[in-house]
Amino acid sequence: MLEAREFPPIFLCPVCKAPQLITSKYASTFLFIYQPPKSCQEVLLGITGKDFTLIAASKAAMRGATILKASDDKTRQLNKHTLMAFSGEAGDTVQFAEYIQANAQLYSMRNEADLSPSAMANFVRRELASSLRSRKPYMVNLLLGGVDPITDKPSLHWLDYLAALAPVPYAAHGYAQYYCLSILDKHHQPDIDLERGLELLRLCTDELKRRLPIDFKGVLVKVVTKDGIREIDYDDSKQVQSA
Amino acid sequence: MSRRYDSRTTIFSPEGRLYQVEYALEAISHAGTALGILAKDGIVLAAERKVTSKLLEQDTSAEKLNMICAVAGMTADANILINYARQAAQRYLLTFNEDIPCEQLVRRLCDLKQGYTQHGGLRPFGVSFIYAGYDPQRQFQLYQSNPSGNYGGWKATSVGANNASAQSLLKQDYKEDCDLKEACGMAVKVLSKTMDSTKLSSEKIEFATVGKTKDGKIYHHLWGAEEITALLKEHDLAKGEDAEMG
Amino acid sequence: MKLQDTRITPSKIGLIDTHVCLAFAGLNADARILIDKARLEAQSHRLTVEDPVTIEYITKYVAGVQQRYTQSGGVRPFGISTLIVGFDKGDKVPRLYQTEPSGIYSAWKANAIGRSSKTVREFLERNHKDGMDREETIKLTVKSLLEVVQTGAKNIEIAIMAPGKAMEMLPVDEIESYVKNIEVEKQEEAAKKKTRTPGTGTTTILTRGPGEGSES
Repeated sequence: MLEAREFPPIFLCPVCKAPQLITSKYASTFLFIYQPPKSCQEVLLGITGKDFTLIAASKAAMRGATILKASDDKTRQLNKHTLMAFSGEAGDTVQFAEYIQANAQLYSMRNEADLSPSAMANFVRRELASSLRSRKPYMVNLLLGGVDPITDKPSLHWLDYLAALAPVPYAAHGYAQYYCLSILDKHHQPDIDLERGLELLRLCTDELKRRLPIDFKGVLVKVVTKDGIREIDYDDSKQVQSA
Repeated sequence: MSRRYDSRTTIFSPEGRLYQVEYALEAISHAGTALGILAKDGIVLAAERKVTSKLLEQDTSAEKLNMICAVAGMTADANILINYARQAAQRYLLTFNEDIPCEQLVRRLCDLKQGYTQHGGLRPFGVSFIYAGYDPQRQFQLYQSNPSGNYGGWKATSVGANNASAQSLLKQDYKEDCDLKEACGMAVKVLSKTMDSTKLSSEKIEFATVGKTKDGKIYHHLWGAEEITALLKEHDLAKGEDAEMG
Repeated sequence: MKLQDTRITPSKIGLIDTHVCLAFAGLNADARILIDKARLEAQSHRLTVEDPVTIEYITKYVAGVQQRYTQSGGVRPFGISTLIVGFDKGDKVPRLYQTEPSGIYSAWKANAIGRSSKTVREFLERNHKDGMDREETIKLTVKSLLEVVQTGAKNIEIAIMAPGKAMEMLPVDEIESYVKNIEVEKQEEAAKKKTRTPGTGTTTILTRGPGEGSES
């Protein structure tokens, strides 16, 4: 147990470095209990290939120790060929995602052209960065997958709630990083086709089922190609035995 | 009659016209001619430089990374607008980490111009622009805008004094799919016919081009005196001692 | 007009949202500002109530903005009339509204704005029938425009909205074939029919039917 202080110290989550202030107040002292932040328990995965970007997001909507819903969609379509997946503070996530979605759509209507995925990522980064320095920052981690409407090049952008932005060939958020990045480091190739991409995704989700001590209720998989965004039927029923 | 409706910009005349805007257009029609021609591999802007006029000056100015523009009208007003456009372009670059698409930049500028025709106590900007730019979505583009805040896309266009005759010359000579070199030739020819003085020299005109290098890079080039002189010579338009300029 | 680059010249028909289309007649620059305001409102509406705007709502909004500029000090009114068409979410009833600089708005089966709009409106009054299908509606639209537009297909733009579908701009060659057909028909009737003196320029027409057409 930690010492009681007048002001709560800031604990950083070892995974995402998010400040954790789980406090309960007893007679004017604070009691701190460490609890892994929800954003780390949520799975976000992204894989790019030669002409597509895959985005997978866990289907569990959690609150504390409870799963509220097993068919949650943690993605929003921003325009014809950009998809954003989000995890983090409940409420913040959807609020922020829909705010970005509305702005993306407004841009499309005003200019009769869509923002490119990289322009979108930079826009989101700026919004997050200014939010971070405001009184109440959004606690949201994001993956932005897209295909450039002009060059048809697929892209994936990784953003965390500190508004760090990185274009990457594959990415994960939360605890899933520990299990999936090493698999993708070994197996990912920039010119893979969609079939191979889904195989890699299967390797990742199997590993998560094997090792991650959280029931994330499987993943919702969407793919972005130059023709748009579609959901992929992803079979999550298989039992994976732990080692 | 018109006195009642032209002292303030915000009032329509009974015929539904905005006199202040029309006066601004009138001011521009005294400025030197400027013209732009869209070629398949680039754009040329050419302008007459009026050194004599005190009130209405005319010049071209290089502007921003992905666009350049030619100005006809009041240079002071133009500077305000160009400054605004540069800021808008940089703001876009800061937000999206991408160059602003040409049409959006033109529209920003025109929205500002429009505001000055609608909101009270201000006169409209007395400048017309010709913009030349490139963006990956729509490739090379040529726009023209006027004080009312109207803008349009053109294949070849002109503003300033004699723009009607310049326009009809362009209409006559313009060929679809001409290349940049042909467009430059056409530009000097039209300019030589519309300018008051019969002699052309690098002192009297300005030239700027947007084009693509062999490795696909976009370049903006404001021509130096030597280059203009060379071009004039090539088309036999440089006269007498003027040819030695530069 | 040969030198105008149609590829990048702004159109007089624009989308407010994916299901709402607006055509205007008047000062282009004013229209741009007004359309921009309407687009912002449409997206803001989506964000706050999670539903796309109804056609009437956005018409009311546009008219409201226009009204405000007639009443507040230091500004002049918007010098444009607009026609707003579209389908409400999950609804198959085509809607057509008109707004005026004064801020008045009204619903129509078919209407025209802009230069010579009276001629066109009268033509529509004579020829509009209820329950026309897409083809008939487009034909009537082109026909009424040809009453006042001299130069034919090149100067006509037609947008078609259908329930649950994206706006469709009719390709020039299709418009051309409509124009040709109509001209042939006209010639056949020429003996009887008195020809009206055609004006030039821009008029906007929208007719009601399964498809919505508009404007030059």
